[in-house]
Amino acid sequence: MNETRLVTRRMADHPADSHTIERYEATGGYSQARRSLQMGRERLVELVKESGLLGRGGAAFPAGMKWSFLAPARPAYLVVNADESEPGTYKDRQLLERDPHQLVEGIIIAAVANEVHHAFVYVRGEYARPARRLQRAVEEAYGRGYLGKDIFGSDYDLEVVVHLGAGAYICGEETALLNSLEGHRGEPRLKPPYFPAATGLYGKPTIVNNVETISNLPHILELGADGFRKLGHPEDTGTFLFSVSGHVRKPGNYELPHGITWRELIFEVAGGLREGRTLKCWIPGGASAPWFVPADHLDLEITKDATGRAGSMLGSGAVVVMDDTTCVVRAAQRIVRFFAHESCGQCTPCREGTSWLEMILGRIEEGAGREVDVDVLLDVADNISVGLAWPPRMTTICPLGPSAVSPVSSITRYFKDEIMAHIHQAGCPLR
Amino acid sequence: MTAPHRWSEETLARARDLIARYPERRSALMPLLYLAMAEEGHLTEAGMETVAELLGITPAQVLSVASFYTMYKREPVGRYLISCCTSISCHLLGSDELLAAIEDEAGVPAGETDPDRLITVESVECIGACGGAPAVQVNYETVEGVDPEAGRELVRWLRKARPEVIVADELQTLFGGRTGFDWAIPDDEGAVGPYPAFGPLGTAGRES
Amino acid sequence: MSEHTVRIVVDGRELEVPKGELVIKAAQDNGTYIPRFCWHPRMKPVGMCRMCLVFIDSGRGPMLTTACTTPVADGMKVDTTDPAVKKAQEGILEFLLINHPLDCPVCDRGGECPLQDQTMAYGPGESRFVEEKRHFEKPIPISDLVMLDRERCILCARCTRFSEEVSGDPLIEFLDRGYHTEVNTFPDHPFRSYFSGNTVQICPVGALTATLYRFRARPWDLVAVESTCTHCTAGDRIVIQASQNEILRFLGVDAEATNQGWLSDKCRFGFGYINSDQRLTVPLIRDGDGFREATWGEALDLIAQRLGDVIRTSGPDAVAALGGARGTNEDAYALSKFMRTVVGSNNLDCRMDDTLDAEFLAATVDRALISDIDRAKTILVWGPDLKEEHPTLYLRVRRAAIGSVPGLVSSNSDAHLAAAAGATLVVVHPRATGLDPVADFKLTYRPGSGAELLAQLRAGEGRLAEVRAALAEGPVVALVGRTGSTEDPRLAEAVAAFVRTLPDAKILPLARRANTYGALDMGVAPTLLPGRVSISEETFTAWGDIPRKPGRDCRSILEGALAGDIQALLLVGADPVRDVPDGDLADRALDAVPFLVAVDLFLTDSAGRADVVLPADGFGEKEGTVTNLEGRVQKVNAIVPGAGQSRPDWSILDDLARRMGSSLGFGSAEAIAKEIAEVAPAYRGVTWDVLDWEARDGVVVPGGEGTQPLVYLPADTPGPIIKADLVLHSARTMYDDGVTMRHTPHLHRLAPGAALHVHPDDAARLGLGFRARVVGSSGSATLPVVTDPSLARGVVYVPFNQPGCPPLGSDPRVTVEPA
Repeated sequence: MNETRLVTRRMADHPADSHTIERYEATGGYSQARRSLQMGRERLVELVKESGLLGRGGAAFPAGMKWSFLAPARPAYLVVNADESEPGTYKDRQLLERDPHQLVEGIIIAAVANEVHHAFVYVRGEYARPARRLQRAVEEAYGRGYLGKDIFGSDYDLEVVVHLGAGAYICGEETALLNSLEGHRGEPRLKPPYFPAATGLYGKPTIVNNVETISNLPHILELGADGFRKLGHPEDTGTFLFSVSGHVRKPGNYELPHGITWRELIFEVAGGLREGRTLKCWIPGGASAPWFVPADHLDLEITKDATGRAGSMLGSGAVVVMDDTTCVVRAAQRIVRFFAHESCGQCTPCREGTSWLEMILGRIEEGAGREVDVDVLLDVADNISVGLAWPPRMTTICPLGPSAVSPVSSITRYFKDEIMAHIHQAGCPLR
Repeated sequence: MTAPHRWSEETLARARDLIARYPERRSALMPLLYLAMAEEGHLTEAGMETVAELLGITPAQVLSVASFYTMYKREPVGRYLISCCTSISCHLLGSDELLAAIEDEAGVPAGETDPDRLITVESVECIGACGGAPAVQVNYETVEGVDPEAGRELVRWLRKARPEVIVADELQTLFGGRTGFDWAIPDDEGAVGPYPAFGPLGTAGRES
Repeated sequence: MSEHTVRIVVDGRELEVPKGELVIKAAQDNGTYIPRFCWHPRMKPVGMCRMCLVFIDSGRGPMLTTACTTPVADGMKVDTTDPAVKKAQEGILEFLLINHPLDCPVCDRGGECPLQDQTMAYGPGESRFVEEKRHFEKPIPISDLVMLDRERCILCARCTRFSEEVSGDPLIEFLDRGYHTEVNTFPDHPFRSYFSGNTVQICPVGALTATLYRFRARPWDLVAVESTCTHCTAGDRIVIQASQNEILRFLGVDAEATNQGWLSDKCRFGFGYINSDQRLTVPLIRDGDGFREATWGEALDLIAQRLGDVIRTSGPDAVAALGGARGTNEDAYALSKFMRTVVGSNNLDCRMDDTLDAEFLAATVDRALISDIDRAKTILVWGPDLKEEHPTLYLRVRRAAIGSVPGLVSSNSDAHLAAAAGATLVVVHPRATGLDPVADFKLTYRPGSGAELLAQLRAGEGRLAEVRAALAEGPVVALVGRTGSTEDPRLAEAVAAFVRTLPDAKILPLARRANTYGALDMGVAPTLLPGRVSISEETFTAWGDIPRKPGRDCRSILEGALAGDIQALLLVGADPVRDVPDGDLADRALDAVPFLVAVDLFLTDSAGRADVVLPADGFGEKEGTVTNLEGRVQKVNAIVPGAGQSRPDWSILDDLARRMGSSLGFGSAEAIAKEIAEVAPAYRGVTWDVLDWEARDGVVVPGGEGTQPLVYLPADTPGPIIKADLVLHSARTMYDDGVTMRHTPHLHRLAPGAALHVHPDDAARLGLGFRARVVGSSGSATLPVVTDPSLARGVVYVPFNQPGCPPLGSDPRVTVEPA
């Protein structure tokens, strides 16, 4: 199955220099940013709405609608979320390293569409090289007058600052990101309001978009709304970058339209499993997502809605594949450990509950589990995410706590026997 | 309360430049903390006091933020910080064995620094190299597809070669395997210390 | 339903509640208590502990939502009793307890602990947590006054929010994150805040404890009484708690009108002097260089005889009294009546020559209430550093200047706070003040040049145009007072006169000493009679035939003593040697006066020179009323007996009157209060009954039946402009060498100490080393030199009344030379 290349087109065609401004302009780059200045705000917002573009950061909220919420007060800010930290996800890193001007051009378009004159890109701290490539691109754009004062000879000013994070997954949560960018602890703000559209960075109207979302903008302008819609599924338009990892032969980032099946993604696109292995389960949308198993989900269409109906999400597009050699208790413990480590500590259920879950899973995995631990595990999980429902009914401020519940609910649902085997054999049955 | 400036004029000038980039002063806190680390090798109390003074906030506020993020090292670390990812994708492909090999070769458990103050080993959560698992970073420069033996060689090489600049491409050529995507672009920029090499922070390595 | 209310349903009950109110508050005000730890009504909600999760249905079905972060909306349904709500709350409590040490038997909070109480009420019976608990070193001192036990902490952010949001000194913060989050200070930067004790009071567990109170008592052993703090003149409401006749603790009471629950550490912890073993316990009569103990009868007879002699030989005007501002209104009334009716002299003053005109303080037109600060568009503070001298007013003004952030978005951004700001704050002072960080405009001037600045501000030209324009936005509230002891007292009044030209302007004239306003209202001033009546007001007949010629004020009394005109001086809770800015004058006057009587708690520097010293009851030992700077009359109450044979001032004066062949006619303090309520026009009807049972927030006089015969218009005569190469600014700090602080050792040692603060350029110019000699108009001292770049050049600053430094005088001109 071939990829449908849009945001990865240039890097595929020009692998050695897709990141340079020369190559970018030689392949039509920045012409859409120029055009956006002629188009005016209303047409731009309308175009993005019509394109059906959904946010690519994990929540899949319609990008155009998000823009239309922006309060009229100015100054307003654009913040690009490049804090890609969800385990399994590494697509934005590729976009930043290989085609940073595409992002810069997208930023210009988003800024013009929202009458923003100051944009920030919050890059996770561990992405030093991606941040350097982006910084170089930003400087090149300044050098050619595409950023700064009077961009493209218009009377529009736009400043772009690349801001480096410092090791905190929670800053991917947009309000935590804003706090972090303001020089505070990366603690999520209270909801409502659900969007920083009126009160965001420095209390001003703010748009927060993901790298991939913004990278799509030049293409939407080029293709038009219809052209963009035609590329993808009627419900989920355009393409989607899947980050496939784990026990597959060909892990990688794949740009695909929605609507293929999991079977196609895992067995055709990603090359299937290694010799002699069988598929045990997979995470369809990043570490926060409830898991899928072959018996129930292999032939499901990959769309936002179909995945949601099946009790999970596409999230950031990270697909983590586990074969039959995987100890699911250990895998779950590893994911819960991640969320416990990344909990900001603000609210009680997440701060205390995620670590408690990690401890119980760790004990079971080490062979010190008790039968009652399964009930405790489920009830502690229930006190973070009521009824273990999907989407979660959280007792927390933000979804991080409930994310730690996903692996717990998944393994207790699909692999209860394996948990009990750990308890009864006082250790891992797969070792 | 006022801490005397201990930073060089050049660093202070960079700090002022960073502060000027943001609509509000305090936004420069994170970059200034990196500057402080680059100035003294790790984030010292004096460094935090200087940052507090530059931003007009209290040292306690600076510490509160600094201690929230894992990359601000408030204890001395080695010249080479080896961060082994042990999150789910790397875990599935053998990161625990890789970490054990690196710990063994370095002679220190994760979280500690060898007696020569050359190498610090740490176990970290996802570093965004899941397609090239298992992956490690040296001074935040990524190398992907590292098997345990390559991990040992990496430690031995750092000890022997003592590179001035850690360049991801070089590490990948010497010790890496499969990458999550085609890196394609030759690159010789890298890190000069155990903090991310990012120009605006004044910590970039070799210029290309 | 009015336009200001909405209807909601709480547990099936329909309620009409104020628009915008949070669900947790609306429910509580209507009798439904939703459990909580992090929410505090005086701070921004953070929704962190999650204990207040209830079902809230805003039209899309019931959802578990935190009641502390949700504003009420019309038609909203709240369910606090559903089993799912109960389960969620039990779950939160279990989470909070898994790492809690459960050391209640050895915890100060045990018995009054919200966590303990709510665990009993809402918690699960037992914990299922079998893992190792989190451990921290415990407890650690985070300041001289506060200890921190991080194992007990439930991370509710009340203390950290208080220090950042309310008091503005963010020295304790959350450190680390997630499961390892802790509250702590920066290493070697203690939580040195004037308001640190509030965090102990609002801590919902025993994580923060007061060093002074640790292990001193169990809550159920304490007796308590509500009272009014008299460390400053704000009239902060407190609860005094004692055990076995010893005062152990003060707590703040949330009185909307005054302190809203907060206290300064001076108020909260400044009661050590009451328990001091240095207290006077028996009357003393001079015996050579020392004293001998005497009986009350002997001591009072001696005073009666000597005062009688003076009156007979030199006339009543040869007798004077200073003081009265440290006691109750009843004590002050007794002093006033004693001087007027028994002695026949108007030579009395409760002021120590360090404050403003008596009539201005007592009876100015357009006087503001503290709560007017909340509604002001513009606030002008041209007076003492509020943080040092009027700490809870500092909190109030700070809050008004920052404004409240609408909605619940917890943006911490300063700009956001500023954008949501209520009032424009203008601060005018000779040096940096605590309010500067939140001031929109700060004007700094050299002592002696205030009149010049005032004229410029009035003209509003050049750099002052913007400030002048801000002041034109009413309502304006101006807090005016003497910025320091070298400032002409007429300047503040001239500022008030200027303020009266501003739109919708009100004035709070500031004096610091305890019950100054009450004493003035009782007529302890050369020109005043009880109830805001001028001495010349013939309609005041209650005391019969009294002298009508204005008497001497404090300065004139001291000068009179020096000149031999004052033959007998009564000090009632007054220590002029330490308090009068012209210390040299006070010093020589007390030496010169032939007969000196001191009624006090301690043998102060002044009392030590007396011929007779009488032990008085102190705070917490007597019942009465006090009047704050707004004119609000509130009760103070007794909870412990006095020291030894000590007596209340009124009783001493009443006894003395009888021994002088007269009578004040009092049987009790309450009887005096009744007399005040009849005699004093502004206080008409303000009896203890009214204060105890009807007016919980006190009565602002004149109110109800009261009238105010004297209405004073501030005079626009700012005094001369004094210029010199070097000028002195000397102002009080919260902790100093005053008598109460001197006998409260744990606070006395926090005093900044005597020092000469000077701009580094001046230090260099004058060739100053580590120490320098400063010579003022009325005193000199050799002091350590502190260079302070925030000072204006040519201005030196010496904190007033520090250990080892006498008052230097009221003239700003000084000389400084290397020592």
